[in-house]
Amino acid sequence: MKSPLTEMPKADVLPIQSGAAALLEGHYAPPPADEDGKLWVRTSTIIQAHPRKLYEMWRDVEAAPTWHERILEVVRTGPSTSHWVLKDEPGEKILEWDFEILADEPEKRIAWRSLYGEPESAGEVIFEPAPGNRGTMVTVLEQFRMGKFSRAWKALTGRDPKQSVIENLRHFKAMAETGEIPRIEPQPHGERGASGDMKRSVYGEKITTPPGTVSGRGIAVNE
Amino acid sequence: MKAVCWMGKSKIETQVVNDPQLLNPHDAILKITSTAICGSDLHLYDGFIPTMEAGDVLGHEFMGIVEEVGPAVDNLKRGDRVVVPFTIACGNCLFCKKKLWSLCDNTNPNAHLAETAYGYSGSALFGYSHMMGGYAGGQAQYVRVPFANVGPLKIESDLPDEKVLFLSDVFPTGFMAAENAQIQEGDTVAVWGAGPVGLFSVASAYMLGAARVICIDRIPERLALARSIGAITVAYEDEDVSVLTALRDLTGGIGPDGCIDAVGLEAHMGDAQGLYDSVKTALMMETDRPGVLRQAIQAVRKGGTLSIPGVYGGLLDKVPFGAAFGKGITMKMGQTHMQKYMKPLLERIEKGQIDPSFIISHRITLDDAPGMYEIWRDKKENVTKIVIDPWAEGAATNEEPAKVARTA
Repeated sequence: MKSPLTEMPKADVLPIQSGAAALLEGHYAPPPADEDGKLWVRTSTIIQAHPRKLYEMWRDVEAAPTWHERILEVVRTGPSTSHWVLKDEPGEKILEWDFEILADEPEKRIAWRSLYGEPESAGEVIFEPAPGNRGTMVTVLEQFRMGKFSRAWKALTGRDPKQSVIENLRHFKAMAETGEIPRIEPQPHGERGASGDMKRSVYGEKITTPPGTVSGRGIAVNE
Repeated sequence: MKAVCWMGKSKIETQVVNDPQLLNPHDAILKITSTAICGSDLHLYDGFIPTMEAGDVLGHEFMGIVEEVGPAVDNLKRGDRVVVPFTIACGNCLFCKKKLWSLCDNTNPNAHLAETAYGYSGSALFGYSHMMGGYAGGQAQYVRVPFANVGPLKIESDLPDEKVLFLSDVFPTGFMAAENAQIQEGDTVAVWGAGPVGLFSVASAYMLGAARVICIDRIPERLALARSIGAITVAYEDEDVSVLTALRDLTGGIGPDGCIDAVGLEAHMGDAQGLYDSVKTALMMETDRPGVLRQAIQAVRKGGTLSIPGVYGGLLDKVPFGAAFGKGITMKMGQTHMQKYMKPLLERIEKGQIDPSFIISHRITLDDAPGMYEIWRDKKENVTKIVIDPWAEGAATNEEPAKVARTA
């Protein structure tokens, strides 16, 4: 179709479809609705780093505990499979599962799903140049099936599972851009009292910030 | 160490707390040599800023000597003397690259709280609520400074603390306020509030070419300070004074080209308007008292600019947006992009263009601080600016904390 606007000298070539189902035939599509016990979350961010570097960081599954909340350990079990262990606050194992990578397109996209029943989840991450060459747009789409695991997630982690996905992407961005994840614990404070302690819980401050590079297992992210 | 802690609304205590430690590779630990109480700390004291927790260490205007640096800090070493900006910025995100330092993406560990309230999170601040990061502040003997490779400004001359301390907030904030007023040479600028930010806005407006600056307040010693740096003053509580009439009278009837609201959300209003906002905030139907904002929108000339360095936190009522639209005004606001201003303003101080210590009225110890919050909030004892020496011993008598004042 011929456009009535004949001059767009600085415009990007627009994508017709995008990953994570945000765009279909040039039209915005909202994230899939939660139904039948299945939860969906889609979140995106702009990161000042090359898609290749971001793809490599994400693909390095054994380094995931440096930027995923509450993940104690990830072990590679095959070329496309890995074993994940979630910990509770004292740092003990409480849940384990396996992920399998379904699609692996360097610098562009990684998709995965869990294996062998609960917890049942699947997701993909898309790396694409941000409009106007302002960094890399990273979009994550994840889906969870509400089972006993998902019901327990909030009690175990202190976060809604959807918010965990958002926070982990935020940690990933901070690692990629600065080489560390911002944190305030432990720090000096006066007597918290009952209300201070309750507020820490409400504000999500009782969730341990992932270690970033301080753990010593460090992914080197500074270019 | 000793630190000034927020323990609830109108409740501040100096407590002994743990020393800070390095947590991240870009951290530094500072031994604080001078720190100050900011007018915006009074909003915390009065309980206007949500997400404070009992035990939070206050303070976002401080300087000191580097004690220890993390492995990724390569521009500072132990013994360096630095002033620290109150906004924490990473230096690498899209916003830092655009020099919008106070809107940094990567420094607020509690960004989700700010996203809920504001849509997106700005940079973290020291000692200014958990929505703004929850970082312990600098009204203390030591502080942890995150992203020490980006924020702190090294002071390599022998200028005394009191001349450079206000580079941590109020001088750059007043300067950005004047810049945001888009001053053209020959402009008339009106500044509401002759506190530290208002006074530095007056001084900065002249530096940027204003022909005339008018300053509005009610406290005589503040107005005297404003006159001492060249402002015409209007005392709004004087009998028969109407600020709008005064500003028309002083501008040939057209209104100021630029208006600066250096007051913010706790504007003092004595009339029915004040009662209206007191009732609405008490009923939680409004969070801020925007008396100055309303007046400044009304006062600014057609096509003029309104600059807002005064802090607003939430929802405002009866803001005359029709007047703003009808006159085609521009509004600019926000937390100060500190890293953009600190170095050029230090150069102005080094050249002797301004001595920022003129605003100081009180020099106290950490033990005096809780009493001084109350005295300042209640506008007693002619307070214009309070500077704390965190290593000075003892407390003055509660009645007269100013007596421990030491000479600079």
